[in-house]
Amino acid sequence: MSQTPIVQIQNLKKKIGNKTIIHGLTFDIYKGEVFGFLGPNGAGKTTTIRMMVGLMGITEGKVLIKGNDISKNFKEAISHIGAIVENPEMYKFLSGYKNLIHYSRMVKGVTKERIKEVVKLVGLEDAIHNKVKTYSLGMRQRLGIAQALLHSPSVLILDEPTNGLDPAGIREIRHYLRKLAQEEGLAVIVSSHLLAEMELMCDRIGILQNGQLIGVQNITEFVSGEEQKTVRFHVEPVEKAQRIFAAKLNDGVITTGEDYIDVLMEKEAIPDIVIDLVEEGIKIYGISEMTKTLEEKFLEVTGGKQVG
Amino acid sequence: MANFIGLIRNENMKIYRRIGSIIMLLLLVGGIILMGVIEKTTTEKANDANWKQAVTKEIKEDKKTLNEKLPDDIKKHVKRNIAINEYRLEHNIKPIQSDSLWGFVDNTSDLVSVISIFTIIIAGGILASEFSWGTIKLLLIRPVSRTMVLFSKYIATLLYAVFMLVVLFAVSWILGGILFGFEGVSAPYLAYTDGKVVEQNMVLHIMSTYGLNCISLIMMVTFAFMMSTVFRNSSLAIGISIFLTMGSSIAIQILHKYDWVKYVLFANTDLTQYTTGTPLVEGMTLGFSLTVLAVYFIIFVALSLVVFNKRDVAA
Repeated sequence: MSQTPIVQIQNLKKKIGNKTIIHGLTFDIYKGEVFGFLGPNGAGKTTTIRMMVGLMGITEGKVLIKGNDISKNFKEAISHIGAIVENPEMYKFLSGYKNLIHYSRMVKGVTKERIKEVVKLVGLEDAIHNKVKTYSLGMRQRLGIAQALLHSPSVLILDEPTNGLDPAGIREIRHYLRKLAQEEGLAVIVSSHLLAEMELMCDRIGILQNGQLIGVQNITEFVSGEEQKTVRFHVEPVEKAQRIFAAKLNDGVITTGEDYIDVLMEKEAIPDIVIDLVEEGIKIYGISEMTKTLEEKFLEVTGGKQVG
Repeated sequence: MANFIGLIRNENMKIYRRIGSIIMLLLLVGGIILMGVIEKTTTEKANDANWKQAVTKEIKEDKKTLNEKLPDDIKKHVKRNIAINEYRLEHNIKPIQSDSLWGFVDNTSDLVSVISIFTIIIAGGILASEFSWGTIKLLLIRPVSRTMVLFSKYIATLLYAVFMLVVLFAVSWILGGILFGFEGVSAPYLAYTDGKVVEQNMVLHIMSTYGLNCISLIMMVTFAFMMSTVFRNSSLAIGISIFLTMGSSIAIQILHKYDWVKYVLFANTDLTQYTTGTPLVEGMTLGFSLTVLAVYFIIFVALSLVVFNKRDVAA
């Protein structure tokens, strides 16, 4: 990861009327990373993205793309960005190819070869001359990515890129975005409410709630950031084992199920407790570490608010 | 500049690749053909040999009416007729019948008002549709200023009007020739200015008829464009613009007793009031009307630009 950020967001605020929608966001995005925007509906993800691409005015603060202020030096700043804002809406009465021609005329230096290259990249060669109204959602999504990549931007912003795609399509996009970030060195910014997807796709995520950035974290830290982990012991008999745990771990939180016990403990303590259990004649069927999924963690951070 | 031409090509592509625009083109051509067929089948063939007699008779009748008590502007009109007819007899120039090539082209120039309505439909939709399709979000995240995007759409709309006018002229001319023969091609147009009759090229006359009609076209198209930009609703923009175009002449007739009506846009869109009839309100001049038109035009364009440049795009 390069040290100079490609995108710098500084104290970004948005007010509509008297209502403050975005309360001052500050974060940086670097070359070669996939950055995820996470938050419940109405948290301000799309508003933030709209300000970043100049579709909405900025009330206060700055968005810098490669050092260019989006509101002061729009043309220079936007020429480094490729984006899909919300759904990839294209001109349905035109063919996919005509759509790309349309956008290629709005930037400098996009050749016919480049269009061909991008079409091949997103795998639309067979359907590119059909009208967009005949496309499936997944094909439209891919055409959307094609138009965003047309002018070889350094920043790719995708709002809900996996929306409406089937699992195979999602996997494809995920794989593809990772490739763009790693091989081409793009900074990719995605927003999604599919938390499991974010976990697989992103390097870092920023959690947004009510227009505030709750935190920016590396995905691996975020999911497994704590020292203590919940470990599940499948044992028999459960009651007897529970007593042993209670005696051994003075601060461990213990919950029991029908045939298992969940214990919050440090990883290093597992071998010792196993010896104790075996000596007491308890049968152990399995021990597994319970990693919190991003979803659980997310609900924890945002106070259990419904994500959707 | 190359970039701007690209933008106009984009807009043209979006206009002509849609069925609606093509249907309007076909309707125009259909209208011309219908007018030709009606003209051909209903009017009796004018007696060419006796046109001098007919003109002499007309002059007599006109002179009679001059002695009656009539409003000034009607008298003026009658005087003009007499002068032109006398000139015809003197120089042996046949009147232009409606079942001749130029008579037909002259008649179909009424269809410019239809072109106005079609262009209003294009103008009302050209920006509002981008919002309703959602494509505005992809359109405005390019290294092109919003002013240029708006400007390219405006130019493309006017180009559509020009294209339709060319089609109107060409189809009328060819159809007129096929139906009524090409022999009258060289017939001149007799214009009456400052009490004198002048011979004019017919093509020039048709062009000036189109041109005068286009003033209203440009103003209403600009108005529709502004409405479309401000309200982002194509039906509203198209509806109000067409309603005003249709209803304005009636409203102006009712209101023409008031002096302030001269500041209303529609009192100034018909510039023929200065060449043929009398002006709508006493004291109105061509210069005055052109000034009023320019002020409205600037307001429409400025409002479109300011609103479009400031607006948050949240479609």
